[in-house]
Amino acid sequence: MERVRRALTSDHAIGWVFVAPSVLLVAIFGLYPILSGLWLSFQKASLLSPVREFAGLENYRAIMDDPRLKQAAINTIYYTVLFVPISILGALAIAIALNRRIRFIRFYRLAVFIPVVTSTIATGIMFLWLLDSTYGLANWALGGIGLGPFGFFERPSQAMPSLVAMTIWGWLGFDTIIYLAALQGIPQELSEAAAIDGAGRWSTFRNVTWPLVGPATLLLVVWSTLSALQLFDEVFFVTKGGPLGRTSVVVFYVYRLAFEQGLAIPLAGYAAAIAYVLFLVVLALALVQFWMGNRMVHYSS
Amino acid sequence: MKKTWLIAPLLFALVAAACTGDDGDGGDGGDGGGPVEIVLWHGYGSAQGEPDAEWQSLLDRVDEFNASRSDIRVLPIRCCTNDKALEKLTVALQGDEAPDVTYQYGSSIPQLAAAPSVVDLTEWSQDPDVDWPDFIPGAAAAATYEGRILGVPALIDNLAIVYNKELFDAAGVDHPSPDWTWDDFRAAAAELTDPATQTFGFAFPADASEDTVWHYDPMLWQAGGSILSEDGTQAAFDSEAGVRALEVLRAMAVDDGSMYLDLQNAKIDDLFNTGKTAMVITGPWALSAYPDVDYGVEVLPGFDGDHQTIAGPDMWVVFDNGEERAQAALEFVTWFTAPEQIRTDSLATGHLPLRISVIEEPGFTDELEGSFPGVGVFAENLANVKQARPVIATYPQISVAMGEAIVAALLGEKTSQQALADAAEEVNGILALPA
Repeated sequence: MERVRRALTSDHAIGWVFVAPSVLLVAIFGLYPILSGLWLSFQKASLLSPVREFAGLENYRAIMDDPRLKQAAINTIYYTVLFVPISILGALAIAIALNRRIRFIRFYRLAVFIPVVTSTIATGIMFLWLLDSTYGLANWALGGIGLGPFGFFERPSQAMPSLVAMTIWGWLGFDTIIYLAALQGIPQELSEAAAIDGAGRWSTFRNVTWPLVGPATLLLVVWSTLSALQLFDEVFFVTKGGPLGRTSVVVFYVYRLAFEQGLAIPLAGYAAAIAYVLFLVVLALALVQFWMGNRMVHYSS
Repeated sequence: MKKTWLIAPLLFALVAAACTGDDGDGGDGGDGGGPVEIVLWHGYGSAQGEPDAEWQSLLDRVDEFNASRSDIRVLPIRCCTNDKALEKLTVALQGDEAPDVTYQYGSSIPQLAAAPSVVDLTEWSQDPDVDWPDFIPGAAAAATYEGRILGVPALIDNLAIVYNKELFDAAGVDHPSPDWTWDDFRAAAAELTDPATQTFGFAFPADASEDTVWHYDPMLWQAGGSILSEDGTQAAFDSEAGVRALEVLRAMAVDDGSMYLDLQNAKIDDLFNTGKTAMVITGPWALSAYPDVDYGVEVLPGFDGDHQTIAGPDMWVVFDNGEERAQAALEFVTWFTAPEQIRTDSLATGHLPLRISVIEEPGFTDELEGSFPGVGVFAENLANVKQARPVIATYPQISVAMGEAIVAALLGEKTSQQALADAAEEVNGILALPA
């Protein structure tokens, strides 16, 4: 009895009590769907019909010969390869530009961050018109400096780069804020010491700034890769996967299978299987990135 | 600190209360002796969720019903846009929280047939108070799947040309006429196109969705083709007729440059309303989006004198949430879709009347045309509805394949022939899979 009482009054138990609400929420809205999704991926099932048959690994096998999925996977990789480096290097450049004492610096920082808190739909509508090949401001402006005209979302080969540009515009502010925080954490003495040693701007950046923002870079690489592989909102709202499936990405394809085509015919289990494979890929990639990152990144004590 | 552990059960009780407190649909009428509450989902209003005339008309009728009945209370809820109604319903069904009555596209009926709680309305439809044969045949047919009636017509549309009179007059082009051929249409579009002012003769929804496909379907039918073979086991759109129909659109997009391709299907209405395109092919629902244009409406151009169009009937679908609520829902739907309410709604919103008795009422179409210029032509165009899309569960997949074929041709990525052949091969694969 005494042991029970002690266990109940210990800090440990109280701790659990305090986190119980969030644990409960995570269990209901996180863990349960993840597990039922896993179960679904082994079934022949649609979302509207209660009839569900166990299908073993059939859904996972079907992944190998699905040309639309292959296209979506290639598109996703293409998107990630463009999005991650450009957004991170762009953000670093802007963060360095914003990391000084000049007039209106607060305004500039705010301006860079505003797209992050703007709704995707608003951004989407704006870009649809900006990048319209006939009526858009972008072609007009680019035409002014002798470029274009571009088809943007209307030309199959240009749709993905346009999507990358649009999402980078929306995400840049977030990366920039992280880099700004990292830059402001660099002790002044180090740059001064480098200057005394005769290091130029590039050399200071290369040997002082870059290594010291390493942890931020690692965080952003992992974070951006994860979000890039799970891209959905912008595709769903702006391009709808088109033209001709050139911007169809994996999560969007899963959505279409489960919620548009597979309501009455059993495609939901297959969609769940694809989602699970994506989950494993993302997990593995994140682990590899952290493992490599931790060997290369310098954490100052 | 001795009593701190008492917090534990207290907190759990709180969390438990928070998780179960809000029932959301408030639909447990009956046990209290009050009126039976039923939930009605609709998707009216703008995409941003602002009320419009359709929404208001629905609320007015529901209020009228609620005022006349003390034993039933209908709770109208805007669930989503109609485009997302099926998806939203799927989620609700998974959570056992389906509304009692919901607005759905007619094309969703084969999917909904798989849901166990969908109410079979076949018996209800034989009630003389319902007067089922009075519904327009095209709409009633789309409610029927494998011999079961699963929906009640909520709306019927069809496609026709809507054109900007000013742009036609300015370019000196004759207005569309009921005997226009597609060649006339193409020639007019080319004449109306003016790159200097960025004006197009025609604008087409090219997002490869069902919206793309149903613009193509009537052309296919007019040319003598069909979507599937008669027994429904093979694709049939890759025929000479199919190519002939697609070739008109492809030539306008690629050769003439007289057709604006709206690849995200988001701009057409704005372009027409700002005078940037002279013609669109659309339904009566779009007319309210053109307040700034003096427009005219004309039936579709034809191949070989055939001017048939396509209808898109939408449905009210009833779900079983216990016998009492299901019964109340049926009583409501009976009243709601009776000729008198259809007439009121039609005059308030410009919806085409769903009841034959309303259309045939002397002076009705004139009254409708008076309040909603152009709607009269759409009402008469219902007579040009001859065929329907296949009512099968795999239709959404077939639609995707056809949509992409059409867009591939319009972008000049494939020839019309090649695009349709590729899509037919994919569709045959889909149809060959065991159900």
